[in-house]
Amino acid sequence: MTLKPSPSNSCRYGGCTLTGALSVTTHVRDAVTVVHGSKGCTHHNFSLLHATSLDNDVPVIPNLVSTGLSETDIIFGGEQALDRTLDSVLRDDPGVVFVLSTCVVDIIGDDVRMVCGKERGVPVIPVPTAGFLGGTFQDGVNKALIALAGMAEGSTANKARTVDNKERASVNIIGEKNLEFEINENYAEVTRLLSSIGIPVNIRFVHDLSSAQIPSLGAARVNILRDPALVPVGEYLKKRFKTPYISSFPLGLSGTPAFIKTVADVCGVDCRDAVAEEQVLQAETLAAFADLEGATVSFENALVDPSAVPAAKKLARALDLHIKKNGRPVPVPTTPPIGVAGTRRMLHRWRRAIHA
Amino acid sequence: MPECTNPLWSCAMTGAASCLAGFRGLSVVIHGSSGCYYYPATLLHAPLHGTFIMENDVIFGSEERLNEVIHSLSGNGTRIAVITTCVPSILGEDIRSMLAAHDVILVDSPGFSGDVEAGYHIALSTLAPSVDPDSTGVNIEGASLFDPFARGNVQECSRLLDIAGVPKGTIFSQDALRNVWQAAPYTIGTNEDFPSGVGTYLGGTLGLSETQTTFEHIAEVYDGADIEPVCREIAEEEERVIYACDKYLRRYDPPTVAIFAGASYAQFAAEVLNRYLDAGILFVGTRNEPSPVSRYPTARIAGLSEARACIEQHTPDLVIGSSFERSVCNGRAFVGITPPLRSRVRLVHQPLAGIGGTLHFTEEVLNACMDRKPATH
Repeated sequence: MTLKPSPSNSCRYGGCTLTGALSVTTHVRDAVTVVHGSKGCTHHNFSLLHATSLDNDVPVIPNLVSTGLSETDIIFGGEQALDRTLDSVLRDDPGVVFVLSTCVVDIIGDDVRMVCGKERGVPVIPVPTAGFLGGTFQDGVNKALIALAGMAEGSTANKARTVDNKERASVNIIGEKNLEFEINENYAEVTRLLSSIGIPVNIRFVHDLSSAQIPSLGAARVNILRDPALVPVGEYLKKRFKTPYISSFPLGLSGTPAFIKTVADVCGVDCRDAVAEEQVLQAETLAAFADLEGATVSFENALVDPSAVPAAKKLARALDLHIKKNGRPVPVPTTPPIGVAGTRRMLHRWRRAIHA
Repeated sequence: MPECTNPLWSCAMTGAASCLAGFRGLSVVIHGSSGCYYYPATLLHAPLHGTFIMENDVIFGSEERLNEVIHSLSGNGTRIAVITTCVPSILGEDIRSMLAAHDVILVDSPGFSGDVEAGYHIALSTLAPSVDPDSTGVNIEGASLFDPFARGNVQECSRLLDIAGVPKGTIFSQDALRNVWQAAPYTIGTNEDFPSGVGTYLGGTLGLSETQTTFEHIAEVYDGADIEPVCREIAEEEERVIYACDKYLRRYDPPTVAIFAGASYAQFAAEVLNRYLDAGILFVGTRNEPSPVSRYPTARIAGLSEARACIEQHTPDLVIGSSFERSVCNGRAFVGITPPLRSRVRLVHQPLAGIGGTLHFTEEVLNACMDRKPATH
């Protein structure tokens, strides 16, 4: 792969905006997502999303419809194809339709917003995702989340629920990485920490939910973002619903007590017992890997999140490992491990690598 | 109806990459966005390069970026092939002129130009393979990185040629690049959906009888070929297949089957099931153009909703297809022969072609049918 990690080039490898947005919209289970472009783009993404759902043991098939643009549409414009596809899709009475554009559509200049603006009796929401022209994968995620948040705005039911529910402390989980292999394990770790201070999850925005759940988006006391790349979404929700946000899931061992304290502070609950219990659990976890002490390691994986390596180094120091360039390569996950459970899984992989 | 729900088949760009990336000594560059790059890169499990073009490259032209990538690959001892994707094709840049200073093979196969087979064909045609009259042996064609059985097919056909004392010619497309232009005069196939058009075609190897016929053709044209050991193995192994299927039929009714695959593999599956298990072939849904001479009810199936509708309509006992069909087969017995085959650990290079291919397929079918859960109708 031609990877040139210079600052001027790094954004080239940020993935496809369309894929990012689809990772969000396909988790609204009563929705249909129309991909306006050639069939190939839809197949690539369908195949990827399907593989991910199989990996996560979720027997749900993403509902994607391609407008199937041909060479003729590309020459004469694809708006008619989109209009026709929307008519066809609406016959199955979906809860909502998302329309995502591809690179090709932006280049030929189709007015997607105009076609989506026609009254059709069902919300038809355009998400501007013109492939690489729209930005990166993460931009696609953020654009889709903001577009979906628009479904919660202005709803009377939402306002009533917001006032009522904000009285009862709960959190929203914002922007989980739906293509992540460990998504459910990471969510389980976060809910374990939340339940230790008695805080429930309001909604997972957006993971496996229905369009009817979206209006309750404003009802949580705090939004917990999956990672800091979602700060624009956090800011948007803060402005719209006056909901503060925590910018990341708890990273590694050290991030966990701090996470509990922050959530407890916002929700006004006592967390002293929970933090103490967590510190005991952390000590037990480190003790379970004490046999690794003194091993010389190096970190492998060129494509990790920059915040993953410091977290790994901190952990290595806690276990008295020596970090050297020629040390035994141990894997660092692409994104930092979440909480104690994520750290424990990573340490098992380290032990395997050290003993290999 | 041009719109399509959950399209089942890859685009021409992926097909071109699946052909070119199979040749050692060729660096393959996907000229397009990162989205176009990542899909074939993850599907084909082969080293691919990308230009990862962005908005500025579209507005101001992609020549600089393309040259940057070509320069970075130059001097590594390989030739370079550039595959164009939808966007550069629509922009209408004269990529051939841009690359005039480089010894680069340009393959114009944007996604909208067709499906995976079309891209494979365009790519192989662009390489312009040729027969070297001094080459000996028999070429093997039909191998595509897109096909999870390709490597197993090549290993199996190589084994059979070896048993028959026939040297292996060029393998399309899983060989050193230089061998593309040193092909042998004769060719056998492993998957007719990916033909090479090189040399005299002696026949395919999907199914025992077809394998036997093809090796008889080899014996006719290749001096010194001793196909007797191959024919003996076919006879012996066919006995084992018959015994296993007969044993199954002593306890169970033959399965009724819906098959979803490329036309060539679909035909193979239908023939094996019909011949050895007396199976009822209810429906054959092909990803590409179906064979005009198929004796089974056949139609082209483009999207998953169509495949699901077929399964619900015909209510087969057994579904043959990809992991897409597996998701909608509602607990029926399932055997995967069509890409993608996800969520299964596959380490051994299993074939569908040759003797081993029929053994593997029959084994999978019998085990799936014996393990099947009751279908929910």
